[in-house]
Amino acid sequence: MEPQQDKPGSDRELMARLGAGDKGALAPLMERHYRRLYRLALSYLRQPDDALDTVQEAFVKAWQNAARWDGSAEAGPWLSRIAINLSIDRWRRNRRRQATFTPLAEDDHEGALGNGEPPPDRGIRERELRDHLSCALDALPERQRAVVVLRHYQDMSLAEIATTLGMSLGTVKSSLHRALHRMRERLREVRP
Amino acid sequence: MILGHLGRSRQMALLAAGVLLGREKESALAHAVSCRRCRVELEELRALVSLVERDPLRDGEPSVPLAVLTRSVEREVERILVPGGRPRGWLVVVPAAAAVLVVGLLVPALIARFRPAPPAAATAPPPAVSTEALDRLERNLVREHAARYLTEAGDVLVAVAATSVDCDPPAGRVDLGPVPEQSRDLLARRALLVEADREAVASARAVLDDVERALREVAELPSCVRRRDLEHLRREVDRRQLLMRIRLMTRELEG
Repeated sequence: MEPQQDKPGSDRELMARLGAGDKGALAPLMERHYRRLYRLALSYLRQPDDALDTVQEAFVKAWQNAARWDGSAEAGPWLSRIAINLSIDRWRRNRRRQATFTPLAEDDHEGALGNGEPPPDRGIRERELRDHLSCALDALPERQRAVVVLRHYQDMSLAEIATTLGMSLGTVKSSLHRALHRMRERLREVRP
Repeated sequence: MILGHLGRSRQMALLAAGVLLGREKESALAHAVSCRRCRVELEELRALVSLVERDPLRDGEPSVPLAVLTRSVEREVERILVPGGRPRGWLVVVPAAAAVLVVGLLVPALIARFRPAPPAAATAPPPAVSTEALDRLERNLVREHAARYLTEAGDVLVAVAATSVDCDPPAGRVDLGPVPEQSRDLLARRALLVEADREAVASARAVLDDVERALREVAELPSCVRRRDLEHLRREVDRRQLLMRIRLMTRELEG
């Protein structure tokens, strides 16, 4: 097989430029990947602000490490790896912080002070679904949470998840089945 | 191979997750047909996966225009390139403020104007944003960040005031938990704030200074602190009317 060419504008070419210190490669690379990385971080962190921070941090980190990028790998999974690791770090920090302060979210205020009527529209049902899933995901340890996000939000194969998280295939499988069972248990509690 | 319940349970989860293939998948399906318990488990796990796949966050869209995100990243890269530039922690702070502020303060028109192109048009150059608009945005970001910093500092001081759990009753000590560590985190953010646009937060300078002094005292406390040391700190916060000033300044910064 012929070696892959760095076509102009391809991820490889952009990564090569970035590795050589060309900042101009950052914008097209961001344009191509930022939405996907945002959704990855959002699925994991469940907070739009945190997800945005993580995406920006991920691109800065990509720029810093581009020279060390292994050209035989694809840039997309490499960026995903950066983003999921940053998401895990941030989630860990947030949890430490929340150990002391757990202010009611705006939504909670509405729920607490509302008139108790059933959800009238789709928006509220969606919010309920989102909240229940957040609650189920919160029941998971950070790596299991990452496996679920990569599998069910990013549609990655087990092998891709293993590469992204630096885990063995067997560990990914164990993590996935444990995570799904744990989420099922938690959902039973919040959605009787 | 004969699988125990744990093995079957694992199989059902992997089947529901859609990762079993070929003979493994056939075997799992065949078992689910003949085993009621596993069938119920499989149905519940499939329902869970279906819920996850309907999660609205799957298709979440960034609320900040790509041009703003790109500029923020490029500026951070420039800072890193310049020796003696701002510490990297800033890159966590600015985007956090950016995210909140852009959602709240940036006019919807700007979002509409600079909405990123769909993936099909990925090769199109990012839209240009005027320098004035971005400068204005950044000033607002700094103010928003200052407001958030003050709010969190206020939370820390309230926690100090509310602390009453004894950790060593004979010695008259109470448990402050992770509050000192949180103060240190906040002080690090304060240091970054000082490096930001000074004019943007000029009116908040006095409050920021007083809050910093209070946070420094909290940061130096052990998590199991003598009650009288805490009382001294509480009196100082009261004397300076710090909580009220924080609330007023936060409102002003948030516009």
